[in-house]
Amino acid sequence: MAGIELLSDQGYRVDGRKPNELRKIQARMGVFSQADGSAYIEQGNTKALAVVYGPHEIRGSRSKSQHDRAIINCQYSMATFSTGERKRRPHGDRKSSEMTLHLKQTFEAAILTQLYPRSQIDIYVQILQADGGNYSACVNAATLAVVDAGIPLRDYVCACSAGFVEDTPLVDLSHLEESAGGTQLSLAVLPKAEHLALIEMDSRLHQDHLESMMDAATQACKDLYAVLDRVVRDHLQEVTTSIGE
Amino acid sequence: YLHVALLFWQQVILCHCTLDDLRVDGRSCEDYRYVEVETDVVSNTSGSARVKLGHTDILVGIKAEIGRPKLDRPNKGCLEFFVDCSANATPEFEGRGGEELGTEIANALYRVYDNERSVDLKSLCITPMEHCWILYTDVLLLQCDGNLFDAISLAIKAALLTPSKIPKVQMMEDEEGTTEIELSDDPFDCVRLNTENVPCIVTLCKIGQRHVVDATLQEKACSVASLLVSVTSKGTITCVRKIGGGSLDPESIYEMIETGKRVGKALHAPLQDILNKEESLGKSREKVGFIG
Amino acid sequence: MPVDTKRLRGPEESQSPWLFVEQEQQSPPDEREDGRRKGQVDVRPIFARCGLVSQAKGSAYIESGKTKVICSVYGPRETERKDETDMKFGRLVCTFRFAPFSCAKRCGWIQSTQEKDLSMALLGSLHPGLCLHRYPRSQIDVSVLVLENDGSALAHAVTCASLALADAGIEMYDLVLGCSLRQEGSDYLLDPTFAEETQEPATESTENRGGMMVALLPSLNQVSGLLCSGDLEQQPLVEAVAACIEGCQRIYSVAQRCLLTAVKKKNPPPDG
Repeated sequence: MAGIELLSDQGYRVDGRKPNELRKIQARMGVFSQADGSAYIEQGNTKALAVVYGPHEIRGSRSKSQHDRAIINCQYSMATFSTGERKRRPHGDRKSSEMTLHLKQTFEAAILTQLYPRSQIDIYVQILQADGGNYSACVNAATLAVVDAGIPLRDYVCACSAGFVEDTPLVDLSHLEESAGGTQLSLAVLPKAEHLALIEMDSRLHQDHLESMMDAATQACKDLYAVLDRVVRDHLQEVTTSIGE
Repeated sequence: YLHVALLFWQQVILCHCTLDDLRVDGRSCEDYRYVEVETDVVSNTSGSARVKLGHTDILVGIKAEIGRPKLDRPNKGCLEFFVDCSANATPEFEGRGGEELGTEIANALYRVYDNERSVDLKSLCITPMEHCWILYTDVLLLQCDGNLFDAISLAIKAALLTPSKIPKVQMMEDEEGTTEIELSDDPFDCVRLNTENVPCIVTLCKIGQRHVVDATLQEKACSVASLLVSVTSKGTITCVRKIGGGSLDPESIYEMIETGKRVGKALHAPLQDILNKEESLGKSREKVGFIG
Repeated sequence: MPVDTKRLRGPEESQSPWLFVEQEQQSPPDEREDGRRKGQVDVRPIFARCGLVSQAKGSAYIESGKTKVICSVYGPRETERKDETDMKFGRLVCTFRFAPFSCAKRCGWIQSTQEKDLSMALLGSLHPGLCLHRYPRSQIDVSVLVLENDGSALAHAVTCASLALADAGIEMYDLVLGCSLRQEGSDYLLDPTFAEETQEPATESTENRGGMMVALLPSLNQVSGLLCSGDLEQQPLVEAVAACIEGCQRIYSVAQRCLLTAVKKKNPPPDG
């Protein structure tokens, strides 16, 4: 634990947040004009970009094509300068392949793929600066980008990470809190129906604590939902007024 | 992505317009599109910048790390380039699709900055033959709309120019004679690079009988060959390179070098102004980044 | 970076012996080491021959001073990759390699970034000279191997490759000839040797130093390749390009004669 006190006696975390407090979120939709949908999100110091192309015809081999639904194609990459120490490759390593797979599974659960048979939807996410919660930032950015592309979703997908320190669940971990070790939970939720799109937990945790941790993470995802919804509504407002002119 | 299909009549119109020093988007042959520059976009780098040129969108991050000097330059630091053509720009770059273009651009960049004057590499040396600063210059291509080289060079110059956070180091020698590198405790105690002579690239596209700077994808589709010219603020040329499949006659090469020099030299002052202005605002500057 | 595991690596503190090789510092005022003069279009004598590699469709060998380059051409054959762009035009694939023993320092087997860059420059220089529209859906492979590098490797590679392409019977608009140049202050050294390419300047002044390679289609008088890096003012740069063009013209007759000999050898004139 390297002697860092993750939770002070007064109940504050290293960066001054309360255990159930999210970092500051700023987001914008429609960042790029050439893509079908794009979004950018900042969660604290974690910055992510997501771009959506499609639905379009299947690229490459036709054998991948599904007659009853669209296939989701994802790529997760991290800018080489995004981490503290320089990365050698932006993607293709084991960790980003795993992340790619998680993203794909998450969005297969959320997008109404049966509306687009024999087609493909590309979701590309890029971490520009990594400061913990990369997966959740990517999912949130990708949700906004999919909304921007006008692809029907069952619901927003909101993702958040959670940790467990001194019998208290912490939400939206920063890099410092992540690297201290300990349990870490990543959760992607469709908040209206409270369906889980993805859940992943590392390291061990007593069964009794699982529920409190899940509750905290779900609540955080719901908080996130409010923020994302605000962003989408603001964006729509902006677009409609600009059309009105 | 680089191949934009144009109908024949579109090409004819484009070429004829260019002949009268009027381009499809209303610019003259030596005009750039609107350029947006913002520095210090990614806070965990030594220097970073984002440049938007038309729809072309480039993010450059520079990280300084301690490494070993190259064999043929034992008393100099070095610059390393990496260009990531991310799938953000086009789905064709997914997986390893962007690698070819990436290495091509990176190799061209090595040539542009490979000279004594553009960056003072000697100041990056810590101990000859053993330790030096390596500036990893990573270029991230977020959107392509023609003229990648010019946009990248602007972004690199801006990123190098921001108060590059290269900490001061001291060599400490202990009793046993082994040396240790000691970083300064004060995070603001930094070496600042002299970036006066960092060149900017001007790419000139030959269309019909004339050449244009800052070609869009459509214009590029009509051109047979282009010439990359990199120019410092004093007007010295650090690199010339023909790119594209066609050939050029010697006379037009001389003309293009002349134009390239003139345009490139003029490019530096406004960039410097913007960056000075940005720096003078200091902490009070509102960071825009991708928001807003 | 791939590490060569078959070689013994020195201890951590060791330094490469190349750091301790003394560089010779002597440049007489206007005489070059091999007796050529600075600032004059003075290329090294060239030996060129076609048709050495019997298995290739066409091949050529060039020797200029101590620089030795061999090139073979395979194809046209069916493309491996099928893109839409290949439907109308043939694809030209160039590989430029230094043989491991060709330079003072050993070169690895894996293609280095420098070799990749030179391959690209070679491709760009040869491309305008070929009638690729005559070879739809096909691919032409050009591989150049530098056997000994004593300067101006790329320039000779361009000449050699175009000879090999002509030898292979690929339709071309014109031959492509290459010439390089080294600028040192107000003087230029045409067709520089390896030592001249890499030497440190005698003076501290860094004005007007640089290297250049020009590829020319001689009878059309079109420049198909231009690669220059360094630190040059506009005037010397333009003069250097002109000098390179003249240098290319100088070797045109050698290249022509080489092709003529090859054709005569292939189709001997009927006796009597």
